[in-house]
Amino acid sequence: MITIDNVSFDYNREKNTLKNINLHIRSGECVLICGKSGCGKTTMTRLVNGLIPHFTENGRLEGKVVVAGMDVAKTELYKLSEKIGSVFQNPKSQFFNVNSDAELAFGLENIGATPEYMRERLKATVEELQIEQLEHRSIFTMSGGERQMLAFASIYAMNPDIYVLDEPTANLDEHAIEIFRRQLEELKRRGKTILIAEHRLYFLTDFIDRAVYMENGEIISIYTRDRFIALSDEQRIKMGLRTLRANDFQVNDFPMLSSQNVLTVKNLCCEIKGRPVFDQVNFHVSSGEIVGIKGSNGVGKSTLVRCICGLTKEKNGSVSLDGRPLTQKQRNRECYCVMQDVNHQLFGDSTWNECELSAGGCRETEIKAVLRSFDLLEYIDTHPMALSGGQKQRLAIACGVLSGKKILVFDEPTSGLDYDHMLAVAGMIQKLAKRKHIILVVTHDIEFLNCVCDRTIALTFNELQQKDNGGN
Amino acid sequence: MVRKSKYENTVLDPRAALMLLFLVTVVVFAQQSLYLELALVAALISLFLYSGLFKNGLILFLGFGFLLALQYYIFPNAPQVFAHFFAILTTYARKVFPCIMVGMLIVKTIPMRYLILAMRKWRFPQKLIIPLSVTLCYFPVIREEIGHIRDAMKLRKVKGIAKAEAIFVPLIFSAANTAEELGAAAVTRGIENPAPKTSVIELRFRLQDYICLVVSLIFVWAAFWLRRGAV
Repeated sequence: MITIDNVSFDYNREKNTLKNINLHIRSGECVLICGKSGCGKTTMTRLVNGLIPHFTENGRLEGKVVVAGMDVAKTELYKLSEKIGSVFQNPKSQFFNVNSDAELAFGLENIGATPEYMRERLKATVEELQIEQLEHRSIFTMSGGERQMLAFASIYAMNPDIYVLDEPTANLDEHAIEIFRRQLEELKRRGKTILIAEHRLYFLTDFIDRAVYMENGEIISIYTRDRFIALSDEQRIKMGLRTLRANDFQVNDFPMLSSQNVLTVKNLCCEIKGRPVFDQVNFHVSSGEIVGIKGSNGVGKSTLVRCICGLTKEKNGSVSLDGRPLTQKQRNRECYCVMQDVNHQLFGDSTWNECELSAGGCRETEIKAVLRSFDLLEYIDTHPMALSGGQKQRLAIACGVLSGKKILVFDEPTSGLDYDHMLAVAGMIQKLAKRKHIILVVTHDIEFLNCVCDRTIALTFNELQQKDNGGN
Repeated sequence: MVRKSKYENTVLDPRAALMLLFLVTVVVFAQQSLYLELALVAALISLFLYSGLFKNGLILFLGFGFLLALQYYIFPNAPQVFAHFFAILTTYARKVFPCIMVGMLIVKTIPMRYLILAMRKWRFPQKLIIPLSVTLCYFPVIREEIGHIRDAMKLRKVKGIAKAEAIFVPLIFSAANTAEELGAAAVTRGIENPAPKTSVIELRFRLQDYICLVVSLIFVWAAFWLRRGAV
């Protein structure tokens, strides 16, 4: 079904992004591509769905890719798109319509399907994927996870033979991943061919046929499913891969460190447009502690931390530091949030300028010391937007530290990160805890929660259940 | 949470709504009679009520009443400077009021995809429709982005002029990224397919569409007829 024959590719002439790739995927097979960030996973998916070479300027392609009998380089993208469905990583930028129904129909309307056939397909899509809750909605009221589900559904509606998925679960919680896993299994039963590039692996191990492990643009080895799941943890970590087994949520449940500098959230209740998001939320976090906040997509995790930071007004209850209730403005001053998309929070024209902007009168030596501890010292003159994703994230954290904020909030700091990068983020957060910050981490990455958090608060619909010994 | 789409029973066909907008504009600029104007506003308010937009209908009713009161009762009794200053503004606002009403009705009751479909039916060139629909879809995305950026600024010490500048740097970068990703998603979903585009929704004129158009044609006729009588 897919034949990649001796392909090398580079985006510009400096270095090869992919080297001597040979891969043959049979019809009905499900193949995983894994490896560290930057190993060429995404580029592989783009070879197959035709974005390379059709949507890539200045790239240089050698070798031949044949998909469903079509030579990719010589076939128009719209012809390829009738056989190949692609789902991308970023759920924010895959939509052309404001309304979910229109979005589901978009692909079918493009190929000129008859209205009867479309209605039939849409009905089947909604039923088979069980996405009734996504019908008739504005896309802008959906959470990241819901948007990702819709993106997958609108490909499913077109009923392609081949699915090319590039990190489809980066924004999904455990429950949504479970639904997604079942959907993939169903696709496989129907004989669809699936090529999936992923960091999170545990949900795939039941039904993949083969796993392709890549490093620096080369295929290092191809495992059968049995050999892949037999990898020891040691080997896997050496390869930089995320866990292969479903992570039981181990409740790290350390007692509260100290009774000083405590952030206390009491009877907190928030509403958005008159609709209650959560009610009666209570917990304590002391200085030097790392507390995780988990919960399903759309349960109100973001609203909770936004409220703690003073970005959303509370309906009831209070947020206090050291027993002193804080107003919204005061919370703005005490809190810092490292956002899911750090591009939103870098404003300066150089790394140095960015730090000065937040330090407000800090001494040069101090800025330098902080930059050194975040491995950014050599990039002092670089424009923040020219940094890599991880560097941007570190710079955003450095700014928070420099502005002297006590409370640091991390919103999904590990979405789309491989094992090594996840560990790096964990290490950084632990370092901040040693500096006596109060740290809240919002995430649905259980593997990460287990390795970094002292305690975890589980937000469920309309109430906050907590595993919290120390605080009560 | 199963919400029946409010669009399932759209009040007016988008084509009828666009024609209505055109006809009302003609009436507005042709008519010179206060009674005709009152009748037109009354007719449009009843259309709002028929569409179930009670609150908007009431607000528009009060708004128009306020404009009339300004012109007929407050300005004659107000200091001259004040009256001169606001008279022109009020006159124009009153003049275009019916057009604004139809515009509002369209925005409130007809989703974008219906309007695009109407344009397709009228054989507007594809080159116009695609950029228009993408642009319109992009506004809410930008609004969302700006919201995030402002939040981020609140948590930093960004003040004064730096603030305006600070919004644009991240916004421009995210706009460029989004455009690239959106483009990739579009071509892999066959947007370039030369096959004639179809639509899952079907447009058709119903009784209310015909009534609306006939009534507005009567208004057009009345506007010109009254005008001839006046000369």
